[in-house]
Amino acid sequence: MKLRAGFVTFVVKLPQTETMTTNLKLAWRNLWRNKRRTLITVASIFFGVLLSAYMTSMQEGSYDKMVEIVVKFYSGYMQVHQEEYWENKSINNAFDYDRALVDQVKKHQEIDLVIPRLESFGLASAGELTRGSAIFGIVPEVETQLTGIADKIVSGKYLQPTDDGVVIGDGLAKYLKLNLNDTLVIITQGYHGVSAAGKFPVHGIIKHVSPELNKSVIYMELKTCQAFLGAENKLTSLVVNVADNDAMKRTLKKLKSEIRSPFSVMSWEEMQPEVVQQIESDRAGGIIMKAVLYIVIAFGIFGTIMMMIAERRREFGVMISIGMQKRKLSVILFFETLFIGLLGILSGIAVSLPLLLIQARNPIPLTGDTAKLMEDFGFEPYMFFSTAPEVFWQQAISVFAITMLIGIYPVIASLRIKEIKALHG
Amino acid sequence: MISSIAWKNIWRNRVRSGVIISAITIGMFAGVFTVTFYKGWINQRLEAGVETEVSHIQIHHPEFAENFELKNSIPEAAMTTDEIAQMDFVNGVSPRMVVQAMIASSETGTGVKILGVEPEKEKTVTNLYTKIQEGEYFEGVKRNPILIGKKLAAKMKVKLHSKLVVTLQDSQGHLTNEAFRVCGIYSIGNGMFEEMNVFVLKSDLAKVVQLDESTTHELVVHLKDHEKLDQNTKTLAGKHANLLVQNWKQIAPELGLLVDYGNIYIYFFIVIILLSLGFGIVNTMLMAVMERVKEIGMLMAIGMSKFRVFWMLMLETVLLTLTGGFFGILLGVGVTLATMKSGIDLSFYAEGLEDMGYSSLVFPVVEFGMVFVIVILVLVTGLIASIYPSRKALKYKPAEALRIDM
Repeated sequence: MKLRAGFVTFVVKLPQTETMTTNLKLAWRNLWRNKRRTLITVASIFFGVLLSAYMTSMQEGSYDKMVEIVVKFYSGYMQVHQEEYWENKSINNAFDYDRALVDQVKKHQEIDLVIPRLESFGLASAGELTRGSAIFGIVPEVETQLTGIADKIVSGKYLQPTDDGVVIGDGLAKYLKLNLNDTLVIITQGYHGVSAAGKFPVHGIIKHVSPELNKSVIYMELKTCQAFLGAENKLTSLVVNVADNDAMKRTLKKLKSEIRSPFSVMSWEEMQPEVVQQIESDRAGGIIMKAVLYIVIAFGIFGTIMMMIAERRREFGVMISIGMQKRKLSVILFFETLFIGLLGILSGIAVSLPLLLIQARNPIPLTGDTAKLMEDFGFEPYMFFSTAPEVFWQQAISVFAITMLIGIYPVIASLRIKEIKALHG
Repeated sequence: MISSIAWKNIWRNRVRSGVIISAITIGMFAGVFTVTFYKGWINQRLEAGVETEVSHIQIHHPEFAENFELKNSIPEAAMTTDEIAQMDFVNGVSPRMVVQAMIASSETGTGVKILGVEPEKEKTVTNLYTKIQEGEYFEGVKRNPILIGKKLAAKMKVKLHSKLVVTLQDSQGHLTNEAFRVCGIYSIGNGMFEEMNVFVLKSDLAKVVQLDESTTHELVVHLKDHEKLDQNTKTLAGKHANLLVQNWKQIAPELGLLVDYGNIYIYFFIVIILLSLGFGIVNTMLMAVMERVKEIGMLMAIGMSKFRVFWMLMLETVLLTLTGGFFGILLGVGVTLATMKSGIDLSFYAEGLEDMGYSSLVFPVVEFGMVFVIVILVLVTGLIASIYPSRKALKYKPAEALRIDM
């Protein structure tokens, strides 16, 4: 008996795998029996993938761009400070410009720029006029790689590698009634309380996009600035720049664990939480938009699949009447949905991938006031698209999941079919 | 005759009709909800920077913005204020007295901008009064109340009802001191703003700086319709050529850029959603009409003219589309109304928004013009979507159509 029982299971098992292949074959053939119907359903999934990939690509592209706008403005992606500096931005919290620290930071491959800065505040005056101002000691050629300030000079020249003069904001120049090569007097407190006062020729005037900075900024060559503030070889911040926000996240983790007291590393997100709010809430709103898109896509697919089942009721009725098991029919129908889903997803990816690659290479140009504003800020006025792999596979998986969820409907519908009714329908 | 056949056809195949109606319903719902959400979203995006801090338009004496000197006030401020308040696009105007000063607690001192305001008018231009974390908006302190930011309170190590001493140069050029008491602490998430801006009553500040109470350095204007910002700024600038009229995009261009750039993207999102609901409807219609090739062949075989068949199909579609459209509008407006009061909370999706004391609620706004456009658009999509397959079905020869295997 035991042997027999074993035999029986063996016999049963064998046809089971055979049934599987038959089911698959039947499902596949069913698809091509009525090409029009299949193509319409595939098309609804295809458009789902295409549109959601397009939307995601645009969302991610805009997010990256917004971050870039913020980061390029001033802060860079990350900054290293003496740990108390951010809370108390005093020059007394400066640190030594030390090769070892720079090397420690620079050894991470993803970092493409390390920009030293010495920042302080002081009184700028010319003749009778005086105004509070922000003093930036910078390495001219490195600084402009991040902020592009060299391109914003409206008169005179940008700072040279060993420059003893200053470049000042257009608004500050107007207020102090200063012209090129006039002398600017700066009075401030230097490192550890030494009083610093100096005369500097104005070598350039810059139109800074930030109205605040435009009214108050003074750029100085780093060495000149250090000598002036009595802070030989000192920095207040080290801007650490990477290619994009993803790289920032990876690198920040490593840097946070490596950089120890008395130093600390901060991301642009920590330095400018108000901007994070703006961007995050934009992103969150985008999620709601995406949800609406998914609902629309899901119902588009659901409508076609439901229609397909309704259309084929009679066919199912006939099949069940001549001995087809409902269970088997439901399995076949499930495979049909699976195939349709796969075809839709693959064709969707096959089209959206090259389309978005082309779109990313040829971003949509913007016109009007926004475009002008972007140009003033030093950005190309385009709408950008992201072609990160996640854009594609995440959308493919989401739409596929939606399709498979909808695939439950034909299964249930076929199990509940009343053959007599179906035949009459 | 044709209409009664069409009517019967709809009821003959309830599944098919149901599918079409629900496709249109969902499409219409998505369309209506997207535009109401869109409007609310645009408003919410202005919430932090604009509605709380800058407001829509600020007017100064041209030199005041450069040097903050007390003498550079707006001439005939009271009259100008009334004049602007009466303009039909203006929601509220608040005249402010602005003084740069040093503020000190028993612990430490720092430089701040003191804004002397008239609370009731100030409430019409910014929503800062809704961001009071502790205390009240100019209530609870009898003499010289001062409203300060959370960050400043932490920096100065002061609490509610603590005393702060303000040192400033009065209009005569003398240095004077005056004590104020903290009546409230506001929290808006922007540390820079919280640290730099304190609010006092305009009448109190006027006494300290020895200026008339009507002296105004800053006129803040809140518009009824933010979409007309540029246009309204121009109108105001034209009327007050001697003053510097700036909207928030000019005052904070980086914020303006961020918002403008985002707006363009949102606009494209809407186009994508509309496209996808169009495709959804087209596909369902295509399926529904193509299914009936055999039936249409039959009708033609027994002598119904092509025009009549086409007319019948279109009539059915119109009825179905209108029904679906009706339910869709109901659903869309229903969801909008349901979320309009309490808002849609985005904090669930955006980490840390709430920690920063930042409102993450989107309140959808029903704007009839936009909703109307969407309704028409969806209805037209439904109709056009059915023309193509109907024409296709009619192209079959009756004999062929009859033989088609379903």
